[in-house]
Amino acid sequence: MTIFKKIQDLLAELLDVEKNEISPETYIFRDLGAESIDLMELAVAINSEFNISVIDDDIFLRRLREYISENQSIKKKYPFLSDKRIAEIIKDVGKGPNFSEPVLKVKDIADYIKYIMESI
Amino acid sequence: MRLKFSGSRVLILGGTCELALCLAEYLIKAQLYPVLSCRNKNGRQQIESSLSAFKEKFETVYLDLNDADSIKSIFSQNNQPDYLVDFAQSNLESLIASESSYDINRYFAENISFRAEIIKTAARGMLKKRRGRLIFISSAAALRPNPGQGFYAAAKLASEALYKNLGLEMGSKGITTVSLRPGYINAGRGENFIKQNKKITRAIPVKRAIEPCEVAETILFLLSESARSFNAVEITMDGGMSAGKLIL
Repeated sequence: MTIFKKIQDLLAELLDVEKNEISPETYIFRDLGAESIDLMELAVAINSEFNISVIDDDIFLRRLREYISENQSIKKKYPFLSDKRIAEIIKDVGKGPNFSEPVLKVKDIADYIKYIMESI
Repeated sequence: MRLKFSGSRVLILGGTCELALCLAEYLIKAQLYPVLSCRNKNGRQQIESSLSAFKEKFETVYLDLNDADSIKSIFSQNNQPDYLVDFAQSNLESLIASESSYDINRYFAENISFRAEIIKTAARGMLKKRRGRLIFISSAAALRPNPGQGFYAAAKLASEALYKNLGLEMGSKGITTVSLRPGYINAGRGENFIKQNKKITRAIPVKRAIEPCEVAETILFLLSESARSFNAVEITMDGGMSAGKLIL
């Protein structure tokens, strides 16, 4: 089973949504209406599902805005994000139906997990 | 009334104190499985001899408030507790203006920061089962300290705040918290104080100190399904002492 499929399963169960509503491009907050407590639960589930130690701040891009506003290198803080994705995120920050909602997508979580698993 | 419980494994922090040992007996009799923490070999022996009648019905684990690594071993994958009862508290009785900076910092690191780390880890483990109950044993002195109890009261109030918020944040996931504030208890440090200040019980409306088994019974109730609507709250158990002015 791919990393994405596993995350899809976990999210569908945790947030009580249909699996087909979740694609790699789905926004965790904007589309799925997740709350921070749900992400905490997701982190715990990922910990045991993939047997890796997850840093919540990193996997959920929690300090992204802070880094952007301080002009810090996003690539350095989140090495699992591709250059293309970083460009997309910078364009995306401040958009969406509610501009303050995070840009986090399902694929970011998958990329984090892949990065951690490869670096073990 | 027969109390019902949704889990069985009860991690007891500060497992060597008289109250914890008394609670462990109540838990075993209620078919629950206590896991008592101790700081060293002596503590372990103390627990084992006190509960020698209940072999294989409890466990001891090592936990030192100074040793962050000891948390990890307690919360290993297959041993997640269903309940946590927190008696842990190191001792620091002194006047605010007379204590050394080193001891102040160490005391708060042990009794607040370390506690936050433990309840964070416990709650994350409970999240997998979507249920869990955490009881913090605070003290009536949290609100009404005697001179010399300033650091103690500060640590208790800060810890209550941590437990309260945990219950607030995770109630929707089945994880709830209660802080219990007992008054003068005929056990441990309280017993010595009562012996030295005999008049003190006269100031309590019920004219007596609390017996350790009363506290243990109350904790057992608070862990049960019957008490599950007590969440993110502090409950005072002091015979009415804090309701009025002290008349000595």
